[in-house]
Amino acid sequence: MNLVAFKILLHDKAKYVALVLGVSFATLLISQQSAIFHSLMHASTRDILEANQADIWVMKSSVETLDQGYPIAELSVNRVRSVPGVQWAVPYYQSTAQLRTEDGRMKLVQVIGIDDLSMVGAPQEMLIGTLDDFDQPDAIVMDIAGYTNIFPGVAPQVGAIVEIGQRRAVVVGICYIGASWSGMPRVYTRRSLGVSMARETLNPVTYVLARAASEHSPEEVAKQITKATGLKARTRAEFMDDTRTWILKYSGIAENFGITILMGVVIGVAIVGQTFYMFSVENLKQFATLKAIGINNWVILRMIMTQALFVSTIGYCLGIGAANLFFAMTSTQLSGGLRGMFMHPLIFVGSGIFIVLVTLLACVVSVRKVLTVDPAVVFRG
Amino acid sequence: MSVICKDVKMAFKTAAGSVSVLKGVDFVAPAGMLTMLVGPSGCGKTTLISLIAGLLRGASGSMQVFGHEVSSMSASMLVPYRLKNIGFIFQQYNLLAGLTASENVAVPLVASGFDWPSALAKGKALLDTLGLGAHANKLPSQLSGGQQQRVAIARALVHSPKLLLCDEPTAALDGQAGQAVMTLLRDLAVAEDRAAIVVTHDPRVYSFADRVVHMEDGLISKVESVSSQKHPVDPHSTSH
Repeated sequence: MNLVAFKILLHDKAKYVALVLGVSFATLLISQQSAIFHSLMHASTRDILEANQADIWVMKSSVETLDQGYPIAELSVNRVRSVPGVQWAVPYYQSTAQLRTEDGRMKLVQVIGIDDLSMVGAPQEMLIGTLDDFDQPDAIVMDIAGYTNIFPGVAPQVGAIVEIGQRRAVVVGICYIGASWSGMPRVYTRRSLGVSMARETLNPVTYVLARAASEHSPEEVAKQITKATGLKARTRAEFMDDTRTWILKYSGIAENFGITILMGVVIGVAIVGQTFYMFSVENLKQFATLKAIGINNWVILRMIMTQALFVSTIGYCLGIGAANLFFAMTSTQLSGGLRGMFMHPLIFVGSGIFIVLVTLLACVVSVRKVLTVDPAVVFRG
Repeated sequence: MSVICKDVKMAFKTAAGSVSVLKGVDFVAPAGMLTMLVGPSGCGKTTLISLIAGLLRGASGSMQVFGHEVSSMSASMLVPYRLKNIGFIFQQYNLLAGLTASENVAVPLVASGFDWPSALAKGKALLDTLGLGAHANKLPSQLSGGQQQRVAIARALVHSPKLLLCDEPTAALDGQAGQAVMTLLRDLAVAEDRAAIVVTHDPRVYSFADRVVHMEDGLISKVESVSSQKHPVDPHSTSH
């Protein structure tokens, strides 16, 4: 009888299209907004992601999130190095500073000072120049999105001279960095230079990046560091979680995206539910005829579920396809707020399951109507 | 074997209280005959055939349909009972709009467990018999009223039911189409092992009946034998 269900469904093409579009719109809204939300959360841990050689981050105990790094004494680096189980530890500097171009335009930039010797924390994807260029005098490497922001309409190139914190700096390289939480242009430089740009002289370290020796787990070593130094030590994964949790707690982003995703659900249920309800009501006499002929409620229920699953599958495929097209067009951009955004496989699966549930939920009222219709109505003209 | 109803009473509850629709009906529709059930609106014709079909429950009395005591069947038993034993023809044809003529005819067979290809083949063959072979792949909306009713007749007969129930089969048709449909019913529906009950208001088609049973105010008021030479009246039907 599934074929009969398909034929009934496909016969009224306008309603079928409305049902499919309702589901695909809800899918698009839910999956795209979920993916952007997830990507933003991912972006909020950008520096932790970039400094992927380190598996432990050491910081002042009051630090709750990545962008909140407070200066700590340089001596802390050696104290961390002395903790058993630490393979290596390097200083890492992070601050904001004012950048001024030669023609006098000002921008607030994020300065990342990487360890002069080990280069831990350096950008992973250099578009122009190499990591060796960091050795040049006054060398800075700028992310391409920031470069485009600071020098609009200028093709990315090395050689531009700027002033950061009243200190001369020369762009020696351009790198690609995915979108970050703050959205500020990012300037990478040697820590020694970065500290002078931000005029930090007393405590020129924000984080100590460390790696646990292979025979020790990062969790265990992090605990040892905290015990030995009194500083807060978090594994890479823990610090990413801390950062995301802080953002979720204080930024209101979860509520905003939650509302949008909820709208997707409500629109999905409303459009699909109403259209499916109208569809079922208009076909009530046909279902009553089937019941009168001798088709039982289970078969009728299966027919309706088949229709619902068919509609939700087609609608989901169209919606998820449109969402992927969106990310395919935006994620490969070198600059722009949506660069590097992506859809996690779990969002594919999750939104699929969710859409099926939404469609089935939307069918519940219709199903009830159809299952309770009195087959004797077939005798009422 | 036939349809035998004895002292069937049925009442509906309304806001104003209980309304008695059938007040002790004794009714027989013998196999091999076309029985017409006639009477004014509200006299209980539709309620009676709905009870015989197992579409309505809650009546007292006895209703035997080819050996099945319908009044004692549970709701779940009535579904396969209808599928196996009853063929329906409705006033508004009630064909499934998205299915072609042959697919509509195939539905009772598919519901009975036939696979689609063989059900379609049987449906198509029956439509050929009814002179609708050329229209087998058309949707109901592409057929005239008379053609749709003929498709409905094919759907009602395709699974060889014991009882054919027709509710005003000619009401939506013009005189000529109505006569054609009744001729078809007369020729195909009436068989030795099958009873046919036609509810109608249309006196022009009484001549197609073997027996005309008149109902009035919830009771059988008169039974006429139209072609008594060929089909003698069942003595059970005289008690009313």
